[in-house]
Amino acid sequence: MVRLITHNLLACHVKGCTSNNFPLQFKDVQIELREAEFNPDFLRNFMPRIEWKALVDAARQLGDTSLPEEQPEMVDDEFLQKLHHVLLEVHVEEGAMVCPNCNHSYPISNGIPNMLLAEHEIG
Amino acid sequence: MPSKAVTATSVSDNPQEYEAEHVHAVYDEIAPHFSSTRYKPWPIIAQFLSSIPPGWVGLDSGTGNGKYLPLPVERPGSMWTVGLDRSRNLLDIARTAGGVHREVVWGDVLGRPWRDGAFDYAISIATIHHLATHARRKAAVQRLVQCLSHDHGRALIYVWAIEQDELSKRSIPLQAHAEQATQLSANGSGQDVFVPWVLSTQSKPSQKSNPAPAEDQRASNEIASRTVQNAEEAAPKVYNRYYHMFAKGELSELVIEAARESGLHVGSRPTNVGPNKEVPRRGIEIVQDGWERSNYYVELRCWRI
Ligand SMILES: [Zn+2]
Repeated sequence: MVRLITHNLLACHVKGCTSNNFPLQFKDVQIELREAEFNPDFLRNFMPRIEWKALVDAARQLGDTSLPEEQPEMVDDEFLQKLHHVLLEVHVEEGAMVCPNCNHSYPISNGIPNMLLAEHEIG
Repeated sequence: MPSKAVTATSVSDNPQEYEAEHVHAVYDEIAPHFSSTRYKPWPIIAQFLSSIPPGWVGLDSGTGNGKYLPLPVERPGSMWTVGLDRSRNLLDIARTAGGVHREVVWGDVLGRPWRDGAFDYAISIATIHHLATHARRKAAVQRLVQCLSHDHGRALIYVWAIEQDELSKRSIPLQAHAEQATQLSANGSGQDVFVPWVLSTQSKPSQKSNPAPAEDQRASNEIASRTVQNAEEAAPKVYNRYYHMFAKGELSELVIEAARESGLHVGSRPTNVGPNKEVPRRGIEIVQDGWERSNYYVELRCWRI
């Protein structure tokens, strides 16, 4: 599955590609929305771990503009619901993720991203 | 009748190809039969995952069919474990482990497709023993530590041991190599073996579940013998999986060596830290290590000043 919670962790690992290798850019994606159980306790504690700008940009690439540019300091349930939806309910099923630095393309098929590289390609 | 005994093996000159043939290809073949729907995790693994605070995100490096992704069962969804595996066919099972959509990534434990320090915790269960050289096993540990938070990252590594418990000694005879095993064990270098997976062409996939030795041994023994009986008439297929059985102390040594070569201090976080004091700034602490049910484990914690 590539949901934005995972996209926020992934980076390009091609040999020598060590800067500007995050976040990967979505390309030609097919999306499915699936409801997931809302867990505000998880979200509140997870928030400081998020690379916020990467998440907001990725959500916009997928057509979701519900998140603010800056991570809010005060969080209410309405905000957490939006965050929940963006992180956990938007599934990228097909397409690719492209490195902004070296242009390496990581395909996504049947919801599973292929991050394999040949060993000599790994940095 | 095909033998289900463990046999000694030696790794070819090309460990990468060797793993491709004797690990990756085998798991992709046997994936559909590798079901484990009602799996009871072993105490050390369950305790580790239950001790992770809410909101943490983790990596299951070598997730297989994803059986650890739903843990801890007592508070589902309070943390997120992302599963990584080399076998695409196993990931197709893992992606809905426990009847819920999971996050899984197709990749290699020797890769590092994560931003630095991305994870709060990581587990590597019954995975590193499939790498065919000491250098590759060390690199896998280094990759695991690299993706952890420098400040608080925690990891649990679990591998198959030469020292088997009573139960598995009966079913996985190493008699022929017992002397050699003891010898190797004494100098901490472990032993390379093939563990056969016997696949009968007659029995249904649900009856063919034959977990790895590092997993549910009791079930494995029962099912394995049943499968072998069926197999006599059914022209069974035997898949030999490569394992490196760890010697006593070998896993801890591997972790320490991996950390030091990554420039990390090994030991507890210095407590008396003044601004001008010469103390290490980053390190790992081995929180516990030991043997459980035919496996060795090491739990570690990262720290930074
Ligand atoms: Zn790149």
